Amino acid sequence: MAGAWETVIGLETHVQLRTVSKMFCGCSAAFGAPPNTNVCPVCLGLPGALPVPNEHALQLAVRAALGLGCTVHPRSVFARKNYFYPDLPKGYQISQFEQPLATAGSLSYLSPDRGIATATIQRLHVEEDAGKSLHDRFPKQTAIDLNRCGVPLIEIVTGPDFRSPHEARTYLLTLKQVLEYAAISDCDMEKGSLRVDANVSVRRVGETMLGTKTEVKNINSFAYVEKALTVERDRQIAVLEGGGTLAPQTMLYDSKTNGVRPQRSKEESHDYRYFPDPDLPPLVLTEQFIAEQQTLLPELPAKKRERFVEKYALSVTDAAVLTADRNVADYYEAVVHAGADAKTAANWVMTEVLADAKDHADGLRVAAGALANLIGLVRGGTLSHQAAKRVFAEVAERGGEPRNVAEALGLVQVADTGVLSGWVSDVLGAHTSEVMRYKQGETKLLQFFVGQVMKASRGKADPKLAQRVLEEKLAP
Amino acid sequence: MSDPSEALASAKAAADRIVNVKRLNACLTPIKELRKSLAAQASTAHPSGVLYGMPVAVKDNICTLEFTTSCGSKILEGYRSPYDATAAAKLKAAGALIAGKTNCDEFGMGSSTEHSAYGRTLHPFDKTRVPGGSSGGSAALVAAGAVPAALGSETGGSVRQPASLCGVVGIKPTYGRVSRYGLVAFGSSLDQIGVLGRSVHDAARVLSVISGRDPKDSTCEDRDSLRLPNVPESLQGFVIGVPKEYFPQDLDAAVRRACDRAIRLLRELGAAVREVSLPHTAYAVATYYIIAPAEASSNLARYDGARYGPRFNGSEDVRALYRTTRGDGFGPEVRRRVLVGTYVLSSGYYDAYYRKAQQMRALIAQDFRNVFDRGVDLLFTPTTPTPAFKAGEKLNDPVAMYLSDIFTVTANIAGLPAISVPIGRIKGLPIGGQLIGQAFLEDEMLEAAYALERAVPAAEEA
Amino acid sequence: MSVTHDEVRRIARLAELDVSDEVLPLLGEQMSRILEYVAQINAVPASEGVKPFVPGPDAVRFRADEVKPWPLAFGPAEFAPAFRDGFFLVPKLGQFEDADT
Ligand SMILES: [Mg+2]
Ligand SMILES: [Zn+2]
Repeated sequence: MAGAWETVIGLETHVQLRTVSKMFCGCSAAFGAPPNTNVCPVCLGLPGALPVPNEHALQLAVRAALGLGCTVHPRSVFARKNYFYPDLPKGYQISQFEQPLATAGSLSYLSPDRGIATATIQRLHVEEDAGKSLHDRFPKQTAIDLNRCGVPLIEIVTGPDFRSPHEARTYLLTLKQVLEYAAISDCDMEKGSLRVDANVSVRRVGETMLGTKTEVKNINSFAYVEKALTVERDRQIAVLEGGGTLAPQTMLYDSKTNGVRPQRSKEESHDYRYFPDPDLPPLVLTEQFIAEQQTLLPELPAKKRERFVEKYALSVTDAAVLTADRNVADYYEAVVHAGADAKTAANWVMTEVLADAKDHADGLRVAAGALANLIGLVRGGTLSHQAAKRVFAEVAERGGEPRNVAEALGLVQVADTGVLSGWVSDVLGAHTSEVMRYKQGETKLLQFFVGQVMKASRGKADPKLAQRVLEEKLAP
Repeated sequence: MSDPSEALASAKAAADRIVNVKRLNACLTPIKELRKSLAAQASTAHPSGVLYGMPVAVKDNICTLEFTTSCGSKILEGYRSPYDATAAAKLKAAGALIAGKTNCDEFGMGSSTEHSAYGRTLHPFDKTRVPGGSSGGSAALVAAGAVPAALGSETGGSVRQPASLCGVVGIKPTYGRVSRYGLVAFGSSLDQIGVLGRSVHDAARVLSVISGRDPKDSTCEDRDSLRLPNVPESLQGFVIGVPKEYFPQDLDAAVRRACDRAIRLLRELGAAVREVSLPHTAYAVATYYIIAPAEASSNLARYDGARYGPRFNGSEDVRALYRTTRGDGFGPEVRRRVLVGTYVLSSGYYDAYYRKAQQMRALIAQDFRNVFDRGVDLLFTPTTPTPAFKAGEKLNDPVAMYLSDIFTVTANIAGLPAISVPIGRIKGLPIGGQLIGQAFLEDEMLEAAYALERAVPAAEEA
Repeated sequence: MSVTHDEVRRIARLAELDVSDEVLPLLGEQMSRILEYVAQINAVPASEGVKPFVPGPDAVRFRADEVKPWPLAFGPAEFAPAFRDGFFLVPKLGQFEDADT
């Protein structure tokens, strides 16, 4: 009975920091260079080479920690995690263990089942990435590319706080949003700049002790997060319901088959023999360094969302859409600052602007000022909403000032009572029976006449003015 | 010297002298290659450098573009470093000539230079004895008069101990005084490049050149290079402590006599001599033989046959490659230490060994601070408990071998500068006395060493 | 305290070192002697008051985030025991394991 089980998930996320050089050497951290060209004595692990930490990587790590509400420790320690693997040239990874950079943070996200939920961030530490092993490039040989080796990462570890695969995914998207906002990482799972491992266990509802957990690895796209965790959860439940017991092991997800299989590894591989790295003095951060990172942290999505609701009287849903992407949020505010009405601007951004951005990689193509002007033209009666959409598309495609574009397209509304009177007379003349009915009290026909005037004018008539002229002419 | 023809002559003479002492097996560089390289170096060396034309031999665990860097190990046989250690680069920038790579205990692990994959180095005065180690090749070459100075490296006394046994001067600077970039790591928190010289001055001027800040080494202090002191008229005003723990009841009588004579001379030079106590000294060797192997086990993980160095069979899978490369490539002493180091860091043992050793390290360092805080400027001790011992004598008893470092490991544990100066002979074999200084006060230590060197009849029986 | 042969084997696997059966007894004995010798530090009571000693600078210095690699006089192709198409080559992983990272 599936309903009797509760899923418990914790996530460990590795995020590549947005630096130009590596964590401990001056090699380029860029993606996609020919193999083993971004390498030096340090990241090749040559005899005698030594690490020197990258300042910007630490700034970004501290910003991430602050953005996640962590306590940043003024003194932390680099440690060596020892294990043998062909893409780990030194035989150890420089990481942090007993004294991490930051602890005790949290991140709120919108749980699909529980509303606003909070994930605890147990720790956030800095480390270096390993290289890449290619197992199918040459027969019987593994090819090693060390370009990635030494690229700066942070590892963000949550508590066992998620109650469903869907929650885990939502948290991850929220985390991604925060990290993208603060320009800490590109968070591109396909390029490996965000990777996630999950600890999964299940227990009977009401049980307080945690069940045996497994670690799910090799989830290499956002699309697979929920699938992988669901598959593992279902496997665990099936084992337990079949009377079996679970082994605390590492499971590898295979997206092709949407299945998991236990990782084959040496039994000792988890004795990492962590100890403080004697090549690196303690990581001591001054109060000033930490405070500076705080000031460089932008307003984060949750805060911005609240402010949008408050300041622009938007619904929570609209505010969430507008703040999902920092560029969109900034754009929206620029439109408002340029004089557009907040609500109208929100509607424009959520519909025309986002639709256009979706189809065009070159981003937000209509300048915020131009959109504000366009909204002003509608408000002032110069353009109908329909006409304004056409102007928007034209400006997006070819640029130009909305008013000029509208004029060039012949879309400017006619607000001249003389011209309007002509159209009104024509319409009333052509619909005598409706005029009769109107005069007998069927006043809702006014909208019908307005529509006919708009049609006769080919959309150029100002509908408000047309209504006024109609009312005058139909008056008894 | 600032004339290219003089530099060339110096290079040739050094090569000739090194050939003459070939029987010591102190220099690992093939003689043809050495001659060719020395001539090339002499012709391009910068004449305005303070060491212009001076031949300086370099221990085989310090990376140089000239010559291979094998660390006395089969696992790096034929390995050519694609970069220069900062110390080597500074030597060259000062006009010095790299006069070959010197034999050593494998990766610096040993006290006799018997643990080299390239054969043992002989003591220059008695071929049945060891020159000490691990920088035994450097010490022997200097003692035999082949070069005025050589670079060595220390983790627990590997410069001072062979200096004592070979009758030359050996300096270990303060931790962080000399960049470790390009020094092949053994115990990173203890390692420091040091200098062996035929005199205090020769050693000190080489030290001065290689010292100073280096952006490539995070553990190197941001300081100017060491300024050499003048030879003092007297030691008036110096307070020299004599730690009683370094003069145990069972100390070799001749070593004690040599030290007593040196202490008397220091007094006669005007120094105030005081007995002091460093109560945790008895635990220093044990502390050292936890920390050094622990760090070594991690530092030596990179030698796996994957990216550089030779491969030893094991082609069926990568783990087999690792195990055979490391199993066959490392000698017995390195294997022992890697295993001990892996053990003390492994799950369940970390607290009892590694963490405890860190606490002991702090206590030992505190002992020194306490003494220096009470007005003592320098400490005087024997460098080694005995003169050079017989080859093979301690090979199968690792703990006995480790105890030959008993007076030197403390300076590495506490990161302090120390120097060994010859203070006499015992049945013809040299013995050294040690001065331990305060962190970054090498200049004071060198002043006292200059005075002692002048006063002591180093060639006389103690 | 004495190190068993099984423990030596386990540690040797962790350290990726081949230890042959012939050397195992002597090695076990030597390791035991060394570990017994160094264990004497446990005779000193735990020292809470003493602050940890780390030699060298009190705080790590940073490097500016610039692409400026320490130079290599020659590339990996010249020192690697097996190198092809820009890659280091090693024999495949054993069938008993998958990538760990
Ligand atoms: Mg990690
Ligand atoms: Zn690099």
